[in-house]
Amino acid sequence: MTSGTGIFFDGNSSARQDVTVELQATTLVVRSREGEQLAQWPYGELDQAESPDQILRLSRRGSLARLEIRDHAFATAIDEMALTIDHTGTVQNRLRTKVAVLLVVAVASIGAMALFALPALATRLTPLMPFAIERKLGQAVDAQLRNSLRSRAANTPLECGEAENAKAGRAALSLLIGRLEAAASLPVPLRAGVLRRAEANAIALPGGQIYVFEGLIAKAETPDELAGVIAHEIGHVARRDGVKSVLETAGLSFLFGMVFGDFVGGGAIVVAAKTVLQSSYSRDAETASDAYGVALMNMIGGNAEALGALLARIDDLHGKGASLLRDHPETATRVVAIRSLAKPGSGRPLLDSAQWTALKNICVEH
Amino acid sequence: MSLYEAVAAVANPAPAPGKVQFLGQDGIYWRLLSRGALLLILTLGIYRFWLATDVRRFLWGNTGIAGDHLEYTGTATEILIGFLIAIAILLPINIMLFLAALDLGLIGQLSGAIAFGLLALLGQFAIYRARRYRLSRTVFRSVRFYQTGSASVFALYALMWWTLTALTLGLVYPWMQKSLERFKMRHTHYGNLTGHFEASALALFLRGFPLWLFSVGPQFGGIAAAIYAIDWPPLAEAVNAGGSGLAERIEATNPGYVNAIIFLIGAAAWSAVAAAAFYPAFQGMILRWWISGIRFGDLTVISHLRIGHLYRAYFRFLLYGLVFATGCAIAGGILLGVIDAVKVRFNLTEADELIGAASVMIGYMILMLGYSTIYQATVKLTLWRVGMESAEISGIAVLDHVKAGGRPASSVGEGLADALNVGGF
Repeated sequence: MTSGTGIFFDGNSSARQDVTVELQATTLVVRSREGEQLAQWPYGELDQAESPDQILRLSRRGSLARLEIRDHAFATAIDEMALTIDHTGTVQNRLRTKVAVLLVVAVASIGAMALFALPALATRLTPLMPFAIERKLGQAVDAQLRNSLRSRAANTPLECGEAENAKAGRAALSLLIGRLEAAASLPVPLRAGVLRRAEANAIALPGGQIYVFEGLIAKAETPDELAGVIAHEIGHVARRDGVKSVLETAGLSFLFGMVFGDFVGGGAIVVAAKTVLQSSYSRDAETASDAYGVALMNMIGGNAEALGALLARIDDLHGKGASLLRDHPETATRVVAIRSLAKPGSGRPLLDSAQWTALKNICVEH
Repeated sequence: MSLYEAVAAVANPAPAPGKVQFLGQDGIYWRLLSRGALLLILTLGIYRFWLATDVRRFLWGNTGIAGDHLEYTGTATEILIGFLIAIAILLPINIMLFLAALDLGLIGQLSGAIAFGLLALLGQFAIYRARRYRLSRTVFRSVRFYQTGSASVFALYALMWWTLTALTLGLVYPWMQKSLERFKMRHTHYGNLTGHFEASALALFLRGFPLWLFSVGPQFGGIAAAIYAIDWPPLAEAVNAGGSGLAERIEATNPGYVNAIIFLIGAAAWSAVAAAAFYPAFQGMILRWWISGIRFGDLTVISHLRIGHLYRAYFRFLLYGLVFATGCAIAGGILLGVIDAVKVRFNLTEADELIGAASVMIGYMILMLGYSTIYQATVKLTLWRVGMESAEISGIAVLDHVKAGGRPASSVGEGLADALNVGGF
């Protein structure tokens, strides 16, 4: 039977006791110098506690009592008796490697969830969001948008069509939107306006507000082209993409920011993951809205392919970027998809030439 | 002395009474941190719970008081669970704050302030609870430390003090530290031994005041000079006129305007440089003052910390940082060259933007994480080491007969602190 010396703390007080330790067949016995038995620990219940290198610190599982062995040879003898003691740290290292591998796998699987499950979840949750919240969200976005766009033109109103001479243009716009809205049967009433901005763009806010930019009207050659874009924006309203995008953004911020990327330098991961994933969600939403817009144009007998023609014309002005970072799909792909869905229209433009001219001049002030 | 006794004396060196020693080796700590940094990247940060646990085990386990070593008994799984629970608590709060921000009325206007106040309060709450967790996982001679006291009371108390400190531009900082430390230590127990904190805030104030005067003082000079140099009524007119060209109009009516701006920028630059230069001294001063205030029953501590150690640690940080940055620049240059060659070879022109974005992101991450690792292995480790080794304990005999008490505390506080980014060690 091997024995040696150690220092024992019994877990009830901080008293330091010099002890002899006997290694018996299945247990380790701690005796005071006077020979009194202080503890008897089965080898199977021994744990190694953290300590400096030259000290082996033992505990019995679940207890705070500690036995410290400072004699290297005796420590090795105990290591050989008890399987759970890992004096060299090999088991610990192996366990840590396992943890690391498992974590990487877990992160990869959650990342995949962010790509597929998060938008699916947002799609399911969106219909449950009350319209009152959507409208409030829309108002908040509207206020922000107007603030950021206003700065440039301080003396002309941001919104076109308020002047007396723009009345006809406004009427034409209402007519066009009225026809689309009637066919769409939306859960919220539409409100549409034209903003004095040179960009060829249109946007849909949460809650049914649509803005067409002056630059887009200038680029459109036929009323059906403009109607195609508006139908696309109505698609965003119908599918409540604004709310869905808020939910997706919130989910992403939760995942990347709170759970992931919370370390020094991790901000880069957060930005990258958000950019790539958000662009991917947005591309999906745009594709779906294209399909919706084309279907709507088909329904009212307009020229559904006109949207594709306008997109192609605008796209000539833009450069190409990395596909992973773009929030819209490739225009060429969109045009092909639009053509494949479009049915032949009635052949008659949605506005007559007088109405179209009035609409084209909606931002002209006299 | 028999041979047996001689061997025992070498194997169990007599505890140096009243001394704290730190046995941790730099090399092991570097390895621990570098491996941790790599795994942080690979796991997008989830490894932080394991890394924090490893770091604490290393620091605690290598710290010996009167010959016996501290032990950290916390586990990574435990704080991961605490973090998950904390997130479940924070999620509804965040959603409420988001909805409040949507409100167009008074609530929406105030939502920013409400969120700030609420999160500041929660942060202090978490700091106190995290301390409770860490203390209850600290074991010395088979007896655990623990903390009592209400975290909510502490949070209110701390928020009040921080507000006061901000309003006085830091002048009441010593009194805040003393007050909060007293609260914490009064509720800190080692078995049946209860702690308290005894230090003079005035002494800290008198020591710190010259530093404050050097770094914050010039701001007053800058502002005063700016106020003097600007001709106020025309400035108000120029601003009120609206429209573009504001800067030109101000300059036309206010010849002193440029000087005022120069004063302000100069004062701010001075303050930044002075703050950076004095920061190690400030840190050392606080640490020494804090350690010297610790009491457990009849046990008292006095710290002989030398500020020079800290400057040396910061110097090493800057030096290693420079070497690291140079290494990164060379490695990055080579890597980009290789990528460029591959791009030309396989005609991948469209990938340009993507490669650009990815290299900025990865470069930023490696640099930041590298610097953080170097900082921890130099400055943080030095703070711990010299802080511990500078301590001289009197009345250490009370540590020989402490009765055990306290229970392990929940790890939710630690999780909250992590989720709110207010964690300590």
